[in-house]
Amino acid sequence: MRCPTLVLRAAFAVSICGASLLQGADPLNLSIPLPLTGGQAKFGEMMKRSYEMATDEINAKGGVKGRKVILAFEDSQAKADSARAIVEKLIDVKKQPIIIGEYTSACAKAVAAVANERKTPYLIVASADDAITQQNYKYVFRQNVPNAYYAQGLVSFFKDVVKPQSIAILFESSDFGTSGAADMEKHAQRMGMKVVLKEKYEKGAVDFKPILSKVKQAAPDVIFMVSYVMDASLLMKQLKELRVDAKLFAGGAAGFALPEFVDNAKDAAEYVVTATLWTPQVKYKGAKEYADKYKAKFGDFPSYHGASAYSAMYVVQDVLTRAKSLSQEDITAAMKKTDLQTAYGHIKFEDRDGYQNQCFSETFVLQVQKGEHQTVWPATYANQKYLFPIPKWRDRK
Amino acid sequence: MGSAQLEVLLQTLISGLLLGGLYALIGLGMTLIMGVMKIINLAHGELMMVGMYIAFWMFTLFGVDPYLSVFIAGPVLFFLGIAIQKFLVNPVLKVDSILPENQVILTVGIGMVLSSAATIAFKSDYRSTPVSYGTSAFYLSDIWKGSPIELSLSIPWSVSFVFALAITGALWFFLQKTDMGKSIRATSQDLDAALLMGVNVQRMRVVTFGLGSGLVGAAGCLFIPIYYLYPALGGQFTLIAFVITILGGLGSNVGAILGGLILGLFESLTATYVGMGWAPVGRFLIFIAALLFLPGGVASLLRRRTFGK
Repeated sequence: MRCPTLVLRAAFAVSICGASLLQGADPLNLSIPLPLTGGQAKFGEMMKRSYEMATDEINAKGGVKGRKVILAFEDSQAKADSARAIVEKLIDVKKQPIIIGEYTSACAKAVAAVANERKTPYLIVASADDAITQQNYKYVFRQNVPNAYYAQGLVSFFKDVVKPQSIAILFESSDFGTSGAADMEKHAQRMGMKVVLKEKYEKGAVDFKPILSKVKQAAPDVIFMVSYVMDASLLMKQLKELRVDAKLFAGGAAGFALPEFVDNAKDAAEYVVTATLWTPQVKYKGAKEYADKYKAKFGDFPSYHGASAYSAMYVVQDVLTRAKSLSQEDITAAMKKTDLQTAYGHIKFEDRDGYQNQCFSETFVLQVQKGEHQTVWPATYANQKYLFPIPKWRDRK
Repeated sequence: MGSAQLEVLLQTLISGLLLGGLYALIGLGMTLIMGVMKIINLAHGELMMVGMYIAFWMFTLFGVDPYLSVFIAGPVLFFLGIAIQKFLVNPVLKVDSILPENQVILTVGIGMVLSSAATIAFKSDYRSTPVSYGTSAFYLSDIWKGSPIELSLSIPWSVSFVFALAITGALWFFLQKTDMGKSIRATSQDLDAALLMGVNVQRMRVVTFGLGSGLVGAAGCLFIPIYYLYPALGGQFTLIAFVITILGGLGSNVGAILGGLILGLFESLTATYVGMGWAPVGRFLIFIAALLFLPGGVASLLRRRTFGK
């Protein structure tokens, strides 16, 4: 039984052949696939900064078992093919025993398939498509809740405050958008809301006005949109242009939760609520410190993507410390037993409701008030009272 | 048709027309180059991206309105186009290669270089110019109080459309009335004859490439107030320009204008009555339909009409 471990260790030692650093031990090299160019680069950048922040903190406190962690990033351009190729290289050539990262659901799906096939544990930090952790993948772990749970906070806000009768759903034709829209439709049916319109669009569209005038005609109580950041801004801007009124404009996390959404949509972003998985106001230990440090360094509060990436490094540290060896099997076993409080919440991977190795946590509702995202729901976490009902476009100055 | 349906239809047509006007300007640049050079410039969208970055930086650094940047980005792109033609495309034209149309492949490379250079220089961040009038619009009910339907006309979209019309008009005047314009058209219609008539074909090629680039650079400035910008944006607009060029009839300027309008209206109507997710499919359907049933493009219809008389 010793042999394979030894071989793996040797392989690992060869692969890291970096100079011994201050600690005297070999550094631990980790490469993370991320979208650093292309349409999703904004998210990749935030996650990269957060991974680095956490790694600096971990190294300052002695690294992982006395070994300094050295991060490298590989740009997947949010293309599933590139993500797959990168991870194949990391596992087959660099013999990296654990994979973390990626952002879009399509990429994470591709990576999950590769990692599971090669029996290498993969920690997903912010990819939401429900299907990823529903395929009996033994080696795939997900820290963020799946798409079906994204809107839980939002749905309770609907129930308790907005009490809508009808809803229109607009979504991007990606894995994330499609599953987000399908999940919202299920929520709506359960609540007895009528889905008056459900339309997808291709990312990067210039003109949403044709579809928005159809929405206007359908006159739903709630307009729910699942979009990445620039589409989200364009949608709100064009809703304002057409004066499409509704009781509430709601976003399904992702683009709507980024500060860039407000920067681009300007006054059209006002009163828009969005689901989110984390806010700087959550009461998890370390959350506020992380958020403040990030803001001091980069000028804006991070969204849940950053917080999850930041905490993922601590999960990795914890797992590698507890693992009996750096073999894939031992790491997977340690991963399964994770029970850790992080800035992102309590990380614990469970098998339930048809999901495997899935971490479940509470979700929140943000509302844009005077150009800032404020936490407004659940009430216990709110730092501002929600503004509802919202004024009609015509009456806004 | 109830008033609600009428409202949706009219609003859709307005959107389609405004979008089509902008598309026409993008398509026009590619068509012009296609006519004279007989090649498709596949760096077209990337040139537009460069124009947009100029507008973006002028706005961010000096507070110059994107619409005024038309007069900066247009000329800058004109000279960039001239440089590309002179130092990159012309030398390649002279080389014998195993591939036909190797200049087309060259333009693909130029496009890649431009978008990668933009990624390195400006990062892949999304940028936009949040102008104060970004979401202002005229409303029918503000003008006509008792209107049974409500229509809105976005101010930046309308301004962009008017600019596109003006630029198109100026181009038409240039091509029809000036000596150089006539030479360009001659080169486009029959290269050998133009050469025999003493037209400096080489020079016309250079000017045309400059003109095509300048047009799309100006189009970039018109797009940025209503859209946004990132380095990889070019491909999508190259594709649109390509479809318009085919639809318009490879090299016909009037065809390109009509092609742009048709594509804009078609996309809007598809979005409203079929589904917005189908818009890209619709674009390719038009493309294939044009190739199959109207190989000469809209221009061939126009020509048939005139010959018929």
